[in-house]
Amino acid sequence: MIKRLFLILAFLTVFPLFAKDAVRVVTSANFAPYEYYEGDKIVGIDIDIITEIFARHGKSVIVEDMKFDAVIVAIQTGKGDVAASGLTVTEDRKKEVDFSIPYVSAKQVIIVPVSSPVKGAADLKGKRIGVQSGTTGDSYVTDNIDKNPQRFDDASTAVASLLKGKLDAVVLDVEPANVHASKHKSLTILAEPLTTEEYAFAVAKGQEGLLNMLNCGLQQMIDDGTLDSIREKYDKKTQNIVQETLAESEKSGGWNDFYTNFIKFDRWNYLWEGFQVTMIVAMASVLLGVFLGFLVAVIRSTADITGKLKTADWFCRLYLTVIRGTPVVLQLMIIYFVVFGSVNVPKIVVAIIAFGINSGAYVAEIIRSGIMSIDRGQMEAGRSLGLSYSKTMTLVILPQAFKNVLPALGNEFIVLLKETSVCGFIALQDLTKGGDIIRSQTYNAFMPLIAVALIYLFLVMIFSRFLAILEKRLKKNE
Amino acid sequence: MSKNEIILEASHLVKEFPALRAVDDVSLSVHRGEKVFIVGPSGSGKSTFLRCLNMLENATSGEVIFHGKKVRGSSRSINSYRCKVGMVFQHFNLFPHLTIIDNITLAPVKTGLMNMAQAKKEALELLRRIGLEDKAEAYPMQLSGGQKQRVAIIRACAMHPEVLLFDEPTSALDPEMVGEVQLLMKDLANDGMTMIVVTHEIAFAADVADRMVFMDQGKILEADAPAVLMNSEKPRIREFFAKVLK
Repeated sequence: MIKRLFLILAFLTVFPLFAKDAVRVVTSANFAPYEYYEGDKIVGIDIDIITEIFARHGKSVIVEDMKFDAVIVAIQTGKGDVAASGLTVTEDRKKEVDFSIPYVSAKQVIIVPVSSPVKGAADLKGKRIGVQSGTTGDSYVTDNIDKNPQRFDDASTAVASLLKGKLDAVVLDVEPANVHASKHKSLTILAEPLTTEEYAFAVAKGQEGLLNMLNCGLQQMIDDGTLDSIREKYDKKTQNIVQETLAESEKSGGWNDFYTNFIKFDRWNYLWEGFQVTMIVAMASVLLGVFLGFLVAVIRSTADITGKLKTADWFCRLYLTVIRGTPVVLQLMIIYFVVFGSVNVPKIVVAIIAFGINSGAYVAEIIRSGIMSIDRGQMEAGRSLGLSYSKTMTLVILPQAFKNVLPALGNEFIVLLKETSVCGFIALQDLTKGGDIIRSQTYNAFMPLIAVALIYLFLVMIFSRFLAILEKRLKKNE
Repeated sequence: MSKNEIILEASHLVKEFPALRAVDDVSLSVHRGEKVFIVGPSGSGKSTFLRCLNMLENATSGEVIFHGKKVRGSSRSINSYRCKVGMVFQHFNLFPHLTIIDNITLAPVKTGLMNMAQAKKEALELLRRIGLEDKAEAYPMQLSGGQKQRVAIIRACAMHPEVLLFDEPTSALDPEMVGEVQLLMKDLANDGMTMIVVTHEIAFAADVADRMVFMDQGKILEADAPAVLMNSEKPRIREFFAKVLK
């Protein structure tokens, strides 16, 4: 009887999983060899293990890339089912999520320049230390050595800073540290690891069915040697990558760097696809922003001029205060994780909504200033001819206001276009994120950053040109 | 429809601003075809009174009565009242983003008075009448002050108004352009248009007006035929004309 009850319970807890097509795995794919991009695909030790576990249960997985900081939040809010992102088991994290049994023991090591006076963990005190934000290395250093280490989004940038002499040491997991140290001969890994730790998969609290599935699968794979063979496969790959990058860095030069960053594995595709996303988000959100802006501006001016629409005006002012008073990246994340937390809306739509709402607040004040700049004789002339308030507004006031504020509106679009570069915070692959992905694969900061910057610059120049033509056209009556 | 029919009437109009009683209990009846010219010193409330007549200012109390009916309440009834009572402003207030012809046709078409073809035809006729046919496709910026004001007047005429209100129509013009505007106004007067004109041009008023109204400190001091008013015994009026006509 009790056994049967257990079966039913187990079934009930596992059941929601079967209702979905595939398990959504969230990761931060800039952490070779655990998770990283190979061409378009996210691969790595974590990914292979998790795919194998669910394959054994007859299920497929969808892997989604996001910032490491967002991985745990994503499973808590139901944006993902399992976090497989080289997560170290810590007491703090245990309060937030449930961990599977560990599948790897990993070390946090210290990378320093060869000539560095830092010879061990004891020498780190008072030095400039770089860590990858949200990693175990980050929390270990924060708790034990330096309350404010320099936190980077990805390991490559931290290492690049170390190479430029902006840091004295970088604390990283041992495998990625090996890749970096072997690429840059001026860097070395200290023999004594800073700390040793265990990696495990994480699920949201209370997902016992899912957790059981992970644990059973992992145990099987440990027992039958699958886990070891996956590790070996990636050890070999790492060595290959190291040799390859070494070979490349020897013949490093303008053209070779260019080839590695953009031509090889069709990496230019990241930029091209990111460019499309950036354009779609910017264009659609500026349309939404102009629509909202016109609406709010007309309500606000009408309240000013006629004394009507007081309630609507109050809401408009609330909207302006909140949106202009908070950073756009927070608005984006709040809309993604909180507002649309429990519904599945495509990220690009989330971004369009977030940037559209944000831009609308600025556009509203621009257009309102345009309306206010029109001589009040214009409204009186329209009204005295028998035109209604709304007709005078749309036929007489707004066309003139729009022309007056066109330069300011163009400026707002330029700002918006560049602001969309924070799309990466919700793992939307825009132009900036495209450059980040290339950077994480080629360990080269210069080329992708400059390329992305040039594309933005080019876009803004084209747009400014177009705007100048439009302004000239609208000026024909002056 | 008799010549003596009262078409527009102000009854005990008062307009108060925070520190000023600009229009102080003013009543005035205007008959069909009558030309009423309102004169008086600056700040006497003439313009404010005229703006109250067209509801551009909301009177604090009192009524505007058009064809025996109070004008008030819904914005729709105010809009249709304004279709019948046109206004010409000191600063013309042409729409700078529209061509001359579009300035004239905008209101007749958008208020549903006539269709575009008809409005265009009438607008061109009006432009021909003031000799500015060739400026139909020009923008207001390309016109002189006098031309702008004449366009503004025919823009108001295009709505087929029963009454035209003029708020100091020549005050913003260079002296050599005053004549052409006055000529057009006289032309309209001869056609039988009912006109209420606020002006400082006493000679012109004396020439055209059926009745001249003298306002001071928000009140009508006297209203009579120009010849009578200009020879009034009232010291304030005598003093004003003595200064103006010197």
